[in-house]
Amino acid sequence: MTALVVAALSAREVGRRRTALVLVISLPLWFYLVRRDLTGQSLRMLTLGIGWAVSTLTLFVVNASRGVDPRLRLSGASTAAVIGGRLLATTAGGVALAAAYWLLAAVDQGLDRPAAAALMMALTAAVAAPLGGLVAAVLPRELEGALALLSICAVQMLADPAGLVAKLMPFWSGREIGTYAVDATGPEYLWRGLAHGVLTWLICAGGTWSIFAWRLRLPRCPEP
Amino acid sequence: MTAWGVRFEDELRRLGVQPGRARQLADETAQQAAECDAAPDSLFGPAHLYARHLLSELTTRTLPLNGPSGPVRLRLTGVGKRYRRRTVFDGVDLTVRGGEVAAIVGANGCGKSTLLRICAGLTRPSSGRVQRTRRVGFVPQDAGTAGWLTADEHFTLFGAAAGMAPRRARSTGEHLAARLAWRPGRKQLTQHLSGGTRQKLNLVLGELHSPDLLLLDEPYQGFDQGTYLDFWHQVRAWREAGRAVVVVTHLLHDLQHVDQVFDLGALR
Amino acid sequence: MLHGFLDLCLLAMLREKPDYGYGLAQRLATAGVADVPGGTLYPALLRLEQQGLASPSWGPSESGPRRKYYAITDLGRTELAAQVTGWQRFRDGVDTLVAAGARR
Repeated sequence: MTALVVAALSAREVGRRRTALVLVISLPLWFYLVRRDLTGQSLRMLTLGIGWAVSTLTLFVVNASRGVDPRLRLSGASTAAVIGGRLLATTAGGVALAAAYWLLAAVDQGLDRPAAAALMMALTAAVAAPLGGLVAAVLPRELEGALALLSICAVQMLADPAGLVAKLMPFWSGREIGTYAVDATGPEYLWRGLAHGVLTWLICAGGTWSIFAWRLRLPRCPEP
Repeated sequence: MTAWGVRFEDELRRLGVQPGRARQLADETAQQAAECDAAPDSLFGPAHLYARHLLSELTTRTLPLNGPSGPVRLRLTGVGKRYRRRTVFDGVDLTVRGGEVAAIVGANGCGKSTLLRICAGLTRPSSGRVQRTRRVGFVPQDAGTAGWLTADEHFTLFGAAAGMAPRRARSTGEHLAARLAWRPGRKQLTQHLSGGTRQKLNLVLGELHSPDLLLLDEPYQGFDQGTYLDFWHQVRAWREAGRAVVVVTHLLHDLQHVDQVFDLGALR
Repeated sequence: MLHGFLDLCLLAMLREKPDYGYGLAQRLATAGVADVPGGTLYPALLRLEQQGLASPSWGPSESGPRRKYYAITDLGRTELAAQVTGWQRFRDGVDTLVAAGARR
């Protein structure tokens, strides 16, 4: 209940920042347009763009509420409700963004395996939200957090997808499922990607929750 | 019981009344409405507001008029704070009871805000012991609000944190705002409010869940003279309602309104 | 204006005879003191009960639900005496001020 109210109001807050919203929504589009001539490349870039946009959005949403959240805790809300609500809002927004770009790609290019392409984008958006949360938890200042996310996305983009470095990056799952969706490979790519995505989500969401549970902890003050 | 009675009883319990006592008060209120041959909401108004009113009336005069002797709401014993090697303060002893207003004074940088955050539980003391009541309202000096939300949305958000339904939270917030002579605009974003009005919002949010202990950090910044008086009037009302209030201040003429003064600067 | 003196009025009426909430409201209105709304009267009565200044008992009514009657206690009489002294001092003070202005 509390988490839903937090999510709804977080969404409303972001929705009012029109310029920022337009920039976040259009960011994946530039990624897509750059290599529009190559279906595989453009889809992978688009997916990475979605991941970058949603994680950065989450970073700012979580950071912007640093003044409010301790007060919500004092009023009686649990850390899970407060932080979960914020992540819920950006996850829902991210999945909606992914759905819109999936439709664009389907109309513009035609997709051989549309369900797999949808999974690739939605999973990336779902992983991106707690990733942004984790970065916000570790690096409480916005500039530092944004630079960290930039580094992560750049490494993900440039690293050899078969190498260890790419696998350690959070958006590797999108790349694997993308290979299944575009290059008509066997289902092992799909399962590998899915497992990586779920694991990454668990690590990021668990990490975010643990750090905030510690930071927003209230001492058990005995009644005087 | 009527729907009004159920809401009334729920609100009493949410405000910390024992279940048995809440049921008894709800029954009596139903019976009072019956003997006046009136519907409860026409006789007493909205259930959640009457619950607050009744509780504050019941605690008001049960306190002796001279000197506070309500239950202890906050007790600091030998509390100190160090950052690395620098000691901000040490050995703070402070006891605040229900129906009492305490002021924390001292020069800039002597740790007044830090001490208040320690009282709230948002900052950990390096030494000493903090005992405080569970129901606490904290009003920070700045921030603590979301610039892109309206006042009503803040009421909904903070109410949800305390387990209040959105509509009830909004009407309670508007009721409390009216006592500070403020009528929140429906569409006005918090970032467009003047500094003084934002502080009023801050105060209402600290009080929304009806805490027993209020911790205020120089809450009157940006207030004009009239609002400043409204504020102290409100503090007096809280005191009479048996709440404990701690105010951080640097204005010496505020001290006429308080029961005890704790000079943090004098410790060193 | 009544706020400070509602307890005084209630205790004085209860010293005359035990009564229930609605009856007290009517007596206040008839005496021309004030129309006290239920949201002010009933909390005050509950508070008097809680402070031990009035003791409740349940009585039947000719029609409708049973009523809660309040009677003044010994503690209530002591409190009333103190409040009456305060009231008389206040009234005399106001009288003096009003009379002083009227003489000019």
